[in-house]
Amino acid sequence: MSGIHLFVPMLHVRDAVGEHTRALRDLLVAEGVDCRIYIENPDPNTVHETRHYLEYEDDAIAGDVLVYQMATRSDMVAWLAGRPEPVVVNYHNITPSEYFAPWNNWIARHQALAVLELEDLAPTAALGIGVSTFDADELRRCGCPEVVVVPVANVRIPPMTPDPTTLATLRGPEGEGGPRWLSVGRLAPNKAHQDTIAALFIARATTSPDARLTIVGSPSEPAYARALRRYAAELGMHGAVTFVSGISDGALAAHYVAADVLVMLSEHEGFGVPLVEAMSHGLPVVAFAAGAVPEVVGDAGVLLEEKGPRHVAQELAALIDDPARRESLVVAGRARPAALGLDRAGSDLVAALLDVAGRAPGVSAVPGSDVPVRPAAPLSH
Amino acid sequence: MCAREVEVTAEDSGTPEEQGDNPRSGLSADERGLLEAFDRLRPQGSLGWHFDDTVRRLVEPPQFQGRPNGWAGLPADLWERGRGTKASERVLGDVVTTVAQDLSEYTDRAVDESYQRTEDALGELRRTVFDAIRFLAARVERLESSVDPLGMEAAEFDLPAMDASAWFDDAPTWAAARSDLPVLLGELADDGLLAALVASGTGVEGVDPRGPVVWAANAAFDVGNGKAGPATAIAEVIDYLRALPGASRGCVVLAGCVDRTDIAGKVDLIDEARRVVAPGGALVVLVTEQSAWDASVAPVVRDLLPGRPLHPETWQAVLEQRGLRGATWHRPTSGSVHAVVSEVGR
Repeated sequence: MSGIHLFVPMLHVRDAVGEHTRALRDLLVAEGVDCRIYIENPDPNTVHETRHYLEYEDDAIAGDVLVYQMATRSDMVAWLAGRPEPVVVNYHNITPSEYFAPWNNWIARHQALAVLELEDLAPTAALGIGVSTFDADELRRCGCPEVVVVPVANVRIPPMTPDPTTLATLRGPEGEGGPRWLSVGRLAPNKAHQDTIAALFIARATTSPDARLTIVGSPSEPAYARALRRYAAELGMHGAVTFVSGISDGALAAHYVAADVLVMLSEHEGFGVPLVEAMSHGLPVVAFAAGAVPEVVGDAGVLLEEKGPRHVAQELAALIDDPARRESLVVAGRARPAALGLDRAGSDLVAALLDVAGRAPGVSAVPGSDVPVRPAAPLSH
Repeated sequence: MCAREVEVTAEDSGTPEEQGDNPRSGLSADERGLLEAFDRLRPQGSLGWHFDDTVRRLVEPPQFQGRPNGWAGLPADLWERGRGTKASERVLGDVVTTVAQDLSEYTDRAVDESYQRTEDALGELRRTVFDAIRFLAARVERLESSVDPLGMEAAEFDLPAMDASAWFDDAPTWAAARSDLPVLLGELADDGLLAALVASGTGVEGVDPRGPVVWAANAAFDVGNGKAGPATAIAEVIDYLRALPGASRGCVVLAGCVDRTDIAGKVDLIDEARRVVAPGGALVVLVTEQSAWDASVAPVVRDLLPGRPLHPETWQAVLEQRGLRGATWHRPTSGSVHAVVSEVGR
């Protein structure tokens, strides 16, 4: 029986691409489609649910469709480009290498090569799927002949219930503390967490002496993560900036619920899952309008065209001190995931892949081909 | 993004901030200073830019543009147009055409083979260079982690503030020998020492890596509101010293930074300060009494901080060993901060 198989360089848990891949696998299996995840480098946490991509050569069946989850470079790409099966590029964006160059030359080189790989693979892809219009435009510029936009499939709708213990700890005694800023995202240079720390410094020196910031994210680039800690320390904010990583989904939900505002000053976002997670939890969003952020936030958050620390601090203070505006953003934010089509993203993605499978030779062997296929709907916003 | 967009040309040089569309151009000086304090923490500094371009050139074999089209021979219609040409000239023309085409094909083959040989040789060289870089990178990481497995910076520790009040009256005298040049105060301790030096009429610059300390000093002296005050900078003292020209300061006073750094860091500070102080000027080390230090820092700091204050007698020995003259230990009349004063030889 032919199938639709997913290829990703590494499958991580609590990682945007990893969770999207696992969610897509589950959706396809639920549709009766044979689906396996193939990787290049094993992650100990997921090794039991993956196979090495070279093993696919023994598993291949006529009519298979191969879906590559692209966000970084991999030897898989050259191999996929040489395969006879239709290849779908599910593109999650490649962070430009100049963000990493001052911190880690190896990763910078990796990212530069990934761009070359995208340029090689995109023109031959049976379909390109961008998780945002921003990503889809890049796919088109790189020569992908057919592109659709389907957002990520792993955003929980409705949102996760907060972990009560974490929530109680975060909230502390009634009335304690000042405004609680939250920033969620890997500690990677394109996320520009330092700009949020600088804005907090200004806020504490001017409008909000008790403001605090929690940064939730794994130290994706250790040198950058270390510099962030040192920066906060040098600015005298030992106790005001807290770094958190490796927490459960429930604990993350508690952070969203306990905070007063989500601040995202990232300079390059292919989608921005924390934005929709925050909005789902009723947390107002203040974000720098870069990459896919404007299309994801829409009019449900505060979009900043510039992010000087004083300007950011003033915008945050103005929002926190204006309950009516906050409430209107909360209402708009809760409706935003549905407006983005996140509630149907999984089924749209499956439909798009089954459509490709339907065009593939040997399609009669795919059980999913018996399922009525509807075309993938582009994002409506 | 497409590869076409990562092409970096000479005109693009500089970090994104340094380019024409500098996103910081609209910020105030203090905001820029705040953000630049983070830039200094980037381990590779300006090495970053041009990296993509260099890597692309290294990993991608240069595209052989192809040799110019070989000689196509005489125009096909020549003989049509030259019906009046003599038969002997037409034979000669045929011979020239044949020979030139043979020569052209031979040259093309030679160019192709030469290019291939060059590519083979360069390809091997490229692989070797990359292997060497990877090997060295791995070695550096292992070396760094073995020297400093925790990777914690001094700034991450909560250190006690230095009380230098015992030296407010003496500080102006340290600067007296070369009063024609400004005094550099390496870490501000508290505003008092800076104020004492400013009050004496000496030109003063204060350097401290802690943003709030510098901002507080600026506020205390009302700097930026048209009033003359000390020049201040948010910077690591060692970095600031390295950027200064030699013999450009009349006196350097080191406080705080000399207590917390390890011995190599202490020696670096002394060597740079000695280079910066003009002949006849003074180098002063303000050092916290060891017992007071141990009592004031938390056990975690005491155990993990790479350095601790040296005894003043040790400082005397270090200063003499680094080429300074007359290192003298001055005990405080109050408090726990001692001064070791030395002179840069003329």
